[in-house]
Amino acid sequence: MEKWDYEPTADLELSLRERLKGFPREPHLWIYILRILAALLQRMWFKLYHRLEIHGADKLPVGQSFVMVANHQSHLDAPSLVAAIPLRWIHRAFPAAAADYFFKSAPRSAFSSIVINALPFERQTKGGESLAVCRELLQTRGNILIIFPEGTRGENDDVSRFRSGIGRLVEGTGIPVVPCNLQGAAKAFPKGAYFPRPFKLILHIGEPHNYGSMSPGWDTVEYIGNDLRKAVANLGRNNS
Amino acid sequence: MNNLLSLDMNPILRTYVVYVGSLLVVGSLVLIVLGSVLKKNVANIWKTYRGWLIMIPTLFIILWIGREATIIGIWLLSMFGFKEFARATGLYRDWWYTGAVYVGITGLTIFTILPDPRHAVDGWYGMFMAMPVYAIALLLTIPIIRNKSEGQLQRVSLAIVGFIYMGWMFGHLGYLVNSENFYGYVLYLVFAVELNDISAFTFGKLFGKTKLRSEVSPNKTLEGSLGAVAVSMILPWLMHFSFPHFGTTDLLLTGVIVGVGGQLGDLTISFIKRDLGVKDMGVVIPGHGGILDRVDSLIFVAPLFFHMIRWFHDL
Repeated sequence: MEKWDYEPTADLELSLRERLKGFPREPHLWIYILRILAALLQRMWFKLYHRLEIHGADKLPVGQSFVMVANHQSHLDAPSLVAAIPLRWIHRAFPAAAADYFFKSAPRSAFSSIVINALPFERQTKGGESLAVCRELLQTRGNILIIFPEGTRGENDDVSRFRSGIGRLVEGTGIPVVPCNLQGAAKAFPKGAYFPRPFKLILHIGEPHNYGSMSPGWDTVEYIGNDLRKAVANLGRNNS
Repeated sequence: MNNLLSLDMNPILRTYVVYVGSLLVVGSLVLIVLGSVLKKNVANIWKTYRGWLIMIPTLFIILWIGREATIIGIWLLSMFGFKEFARATGLYRDWWYTGAVYVGITGLTIFTILPDPRHAVDGWYGMFMAMPVYAIALLLTIPIIRNKSEGQLQRVSLAIVGFIYMGWMFGHLGYLVNSENFYGYVLYLVFAVELNDISAFTFGKLFGKTKLRSEVSPNKTLEGSLGAVAVSMILPWLMHFSFPHFGTTDLLLTGVIVGVGGQLGDLTISFIKRDLGVKDMGVVIPGHGGILDRVDSLIFVAPLFFHMIRWFHDL
């Protein structure tokens, strides 16, 4: 008889703390349940408190792997983008979040991994490694990566220059990138505020962009960054 | 102190609290003397010992609260024990099977708590004993519902082993709670099984030369094993107050079941771990590993002890 193929989970001998910090995360039933409950609460909150409007959710190529890029103004951005994704896919949607902030302490790691389902991104030290993790993630069909290529939260509705990461991530691959634009977040939850204010949020989702036919190289990386920045900015301009 | 002990507490439970409590205090003192006076390195033993200092009082408190608390406690141990098994084998990735086994284990708990509608006694014995039928039927239906065959036999098999061993066999310990002499039985089992473990370890350290089962658990020795059986054979007489109605046959059988069964349970989890290539089943109990690493012997012993009692005395 052939031997059976066992696949012990990778985090078998890690403590809970290490499990919450690590990535990729092994699935846990109780975490999935908590995440679904948190997502339902968030969606209610966005609907009632911010009267969030989502335009173009049908353009998301749900079922295949894709990247969502958006302007970044507040901590409300990632959850609003996730709110556009059908509930049964939320465990596969990973907002890239700064590891030095979102995974700093154990309670923060718990919140980031359970509620946000964040991918810990080392923006200062190991950017290349984190990009490799993202690339790996997108190999699995159905995974969704959410990126804010401006790198940090901006002060207003202007979209600043995109960092090279997004270009390096998708150059030479056929992975679709969906530009998104969220308006109102800078007012609703400005940098430094402790609690969101009840301002209206509007999310526009654009057509997916595909860069698979372009030959990889720095020109392409730069082109992708500029092209997406323009797309994100235009979504805001044409609809306000 | 007198006041605390006069709390409404079952006399057998009280005796165990006093005995085991004294053992723990003596153990702490010995470790403190070894560590700070004789300057021996006891860091590792402390870690394991601290685990006991948390687990034993928790066990006593749950038993003291009573029947339902104990049954629910065993349900939780079963669920988490199975989860460890499922994670170690990889079955956990398939939530159909994991979920079905959770449902089965929960069913066992429900029929342990519910009374049999036709007899006015605690615990629905017929349903409890029939649960493997329903659980296996449910598990075999999963591939049919999903219209899938590849790899399903392995998953069904792992799920059945998980349910029968970590759920149903271990669940007998919970069902034992329905007995009139529940404190004596449960406390004796837990105490005797742990002492059996500790004896095997100690005799092995002192006299161990011959490997017991080299391919399953290379650190265990024949000498340790025989020493543990000897201790377990004597213990029922020393702790006769736990089951005053036991005659010589019962006491002998209790000794054999704990002495031999306890070590078989230990070796069962050992061969499973070795086949899977993992060191411990988990990390929930610092210094002890996973839940299954701690209750391994109890799982094997509980149903054998249970059916011995039922055969000779009814519950």
